[in-house]
Amino acid sequence: MAIIQTIDLTKRFKDLIAVDKLSLSIDEGEIFGLLGPNGAGKTTTVLILSTVIKPTNGTAIVGDYDIRKDPDDVRKLIGICFQDPKLMWVSTPWDVLNWHAKVCGLSTRERKRRVKQVLEHVNMWDHRRKRIHGLSGGMKKRVEVAKILIQRPKIAFIDEPTSQIDVVGKHKIWNMIRELRDEGSTIILATNELYEADVLSDRVGIMHKGKMLVCDTPKTLKDSILGGDVVEVQLEKKVSNNVLDELKGFKEVVEVVVVKPDDLRIHLNKVEKVVPRVVNLFSNAGLPISSIRMSEPSLDDVFVHYTGLTIEEAEQKGNSR
Amino acid sequence: MLLVIERDLRRFIQFKFIIILRTIWFAAQVAFFGLIASRMVVPELADIYFEFYVAGVVIMMLYSASVFIGYDIFEEAEHGVFEYLLSLPVSRKELVLGRSIGGGIRSFILVGPIIAITLFIIGLANPLNLLVAFSALFLFAFGISGMSITIAVTLKSGDRFDIFMGVLSALIVRLSTAMYPQAFVQDANQAYAAFSQFNPVTYASDLFRWGTGIERYLTMSPMPLAAIIGIVIFFFIFTFVGVTFYEKRLEGGGWQ
Repeated sequence: MAIIQTIDLTKRFKDLIAVDKLSLSIDEGEIFGLLGPNGAGKTTTVLILSTVIKPTNGTAIVGDYDIRKDPDDVRKLIGICFQDPKLMWVSTPWDVLNWHAKVCGLSTRERKRRVKQVLEHVNMWDHRRKRIHGLSGGMKKRVEVAKILIQRPKIAFIDEPTSQIDVVGKHKIWNMIRELRDEGSTIILATNELYEADVLSDRVGIMHKGKMLVCDTPKTLKDSILGGDVVEVQLEKKVSNNVLDELKGFKEVVEVVVVKPDDLRIHLNKVEKVVPRVVNLFSNAGLPISSIRMSEPSLDDVFVHYTGLTIEEAEQKGNSR
Repeated sequence: MLLVIERDLRRFIQFKFIIILRTIWFAAQVAFFGLIASRMVVPELADIYFEFYVAGVVIMMLYSASVFIGYDIFEEAEHGVFEYLLSLPVSRKELVLGRSIGGGIRSFILVGPIIAITLFIIGLANPLNLLVAFSALFLFAFGISGMSITIAVTLKSGDRFDIFMGVLSALIVRLSTAMYPQAFVQDANQAYAAFSQFNPVTYASDLFRWGTGIERYLTMSPMPLAAIIGIVIFFFIFTFVGVTFYEKRLEGGGWQ
């Protein structure tokens, strides 16, 4: 069941169309990855859906409420973890989180319990009384993430949650996001990190220049690239033309590249289904395999497939928009 | 809305440095300028002018403390906290009204001890008058906070706001009865007098002096009704009209 539905959502800043007729549907309880380079329109979309800014055209239904007509009701359902931590330098993590919990309506007892629990969870308990200006970038980010973990909103917008976070911290935050989802929140994850979107998201929407290019599960998106899976086979003997012809006859196989007579690179789809058949083919032909390596396309490949650019190139072009 | 007010109060207390400096400023104005300037008037009125001046300085301080909320808005915009506040489950009206009231209350917290010292210096003539005057001063502080917020979101630039408020303060304080009685303003220039007569700082200064009993030396008016009405109108304009204007700008993303 859709919890967010956008209808031709558009945001224009003077000559720049930041979000261009965005129509998408996000299901309740899913982690929806909004993937795209900087300047793609992800953050603007998040700010519109959370009623921080108004769309120029179109609208969205969040929960059962129209963002244009019932912004106060929408804000009761949502919580945002901003890309850049929104913290005043004179405050302390405890002050920030305690006040946030109060505004979100937590009772005194529950508030104290949850603030302590989350601060410990994000390893900030020992730093709770330090001024924000004395914290590192990663610590500030953890305080920002902590806000939403304390709030546990029905719909959580999380914008680049692991920027400025080290590898260990990233995995911790990913686990927290999954826990948040498991507790009943719908998560909209805006990110330009392809791996993050891949490992966390149930579905991914790829944005570029304010438009939604494609939207589906990571697996379906990867499978949509014709011949995106690659199998590299090293044989102990040279391969015959008959075997090659039989291999090319598989409907999932797109291309067979003979690197050497005993070294093949096969471009195909649905690698997990085809590989057993490939192994059987070589085995039946009396061709022992000395090594086999499989690789699936990444979301990076998906992005290149749909935009013709790598995410880094798209970022450079986006910045000059 | 109470939580919005609480937040502003907590933030203000965190700026201890500003509170200390403001208190030093008040002490210097009273101990140096007030004492020396009161020697310039005829000797039999020197003490009265000193009391008159001290009461005016209190209002000047209340004014500048209430204006401070506008600077907060720019600091918050710089740190992106504005977006955070707008995403909270708080209506825009509650947010803006809360900030306006929070700005007013915190200026009273700053000026409160100073008012106590002033009353100690001047003495308390009539508690009922003082209560009426205090109520009006609350409205004055909320109104000035509302005005500061409205100007801040209109100008959308910290530098412009700083310069504009400097000029406005120079006009609104100098062309008021904060430092000199209306009769002298009238003597100097009719246009000055007209401006001073319809100036919230004049209303606040007159009311505070009336509340503390100093005004009895200056006018025969039993109740400065015009000042009370003036402050109430000022409060309504900048609290409600200002709030509506601010709200519209917020909803439209006009703060960006």
